[in-house]
Amino acid sequence: MKWTAKDLDMYMQSKEYVDTVLIPLVPLSFKGQMKQTGSMNEFLTILSLEIEKQMKGRILLLPTFHYFSDEMDKVERLKGWVNEVKENKFEHVFLLTSDFEWKKEERELENNLVWIPAIPLEGLEIEQAREMINQQVLQILDIFSYNWKNEKK
Amino acid sequence: MSKHNVSRRQFLNYTLTGVGGFMAAGMLMPMVRFAIDPVLSADKGGDYVATKQKVGELTTEPTRVDFSFKQVDGWYESEETNTAWVYKTDDGKIVALSPICKHLGCTVGWNTDKTNPNQFFCPCHYGRYTKDGMNVKGTPPVSPLDVFDTKEKDGILYLGQLKPHGEA
Ligand code: FES
Repeated sequence: MKWTAKDLDMYMQSKEYVDTVLIPLVPLSFKGQMKQTGSMNEFLTILSLEIEKQMKGRILLLPTFHYFSDEMDKVERLKGWVNEVKENKFEHVFLLTSDFEWKKEERELENNLVWIPAIPLEGLEIEQAREMINQQVLQILDIFSYNWKNEKK
Repeated sequence: MSKHNVSRRQFLNYTLTGVGGFMAAGMLMPMVRFAIDPVLSADKGGDYVATKQKVGELTTEPTRVDFSFKQVDGWYESEETNTAWVYKTDDGKIVALSPICKHLGCTVGWNTDKTNPNQFFCPCHYGRYTKDGMNVKGTPPVSPLDVFDTKEKDGILYLGQLKPHGEA
């Protein structure tokens, strides 16, 4: 479900079935990395919407968490988001990003980080791009299913 | 003082209500448009969309068929991809099922649950459907998968309107 009035209505009526939150993490920069952050933004937007489409009934997709690359307290800020989500009875929180910086924080983020290299979509034919995104989506869905199963003990 | 004199307060009252009412109407119109638009565009989608699937290559095993069409979502027009599970019945009839789970809308897969082979399986809350799209009792979905109208032209599969099971 997406963060839209219509989907949130649906969420409120079926809370007990939606136990997973997905937060895309996208950096912003006005410096040398500016264009890369643009690619990441495009890629993650499409990817997360596609995941949401496949898993609509169990995942709530939060609006993207944006931060400036050199922002000092981004880790703290993100942890604040994650805590807020957990307090609202979500059992799984997945953080989806192409920004390598988060890899360093992986332990602090308690392993719910899914890092995936951004494909620069701007150079691809639409068919090609779609195919590549599909592949990525399948991999990520596998990770989710795996996590869901292991909780089912 | 005659009663036709409008006091300052009344005057303000009238004009403000007028302006307010006008503003409210301005806000309402777009909202009404929003509410009506999806219905209108759904109506336009009556046509069949060509897929890349050759009808001759269909078997009795459900295959994924992707097709794209233009969709207006809010105010963006976008190229939307949709999927259908398509197969031939034993007497050669083509069946095209929507992959959207009737429980809460996840995408179902064919034969993806090892313990329940030859069924459609929803990974979200383990909903299941038999090959003809009927929901399996005891799993979360309460109705069968929707069905696409289908058509064959020059050996190519065309998909049309999506309808509740049993009405296509
Ligand atoms: S969305 Fe398919 S079983 Fe719940």
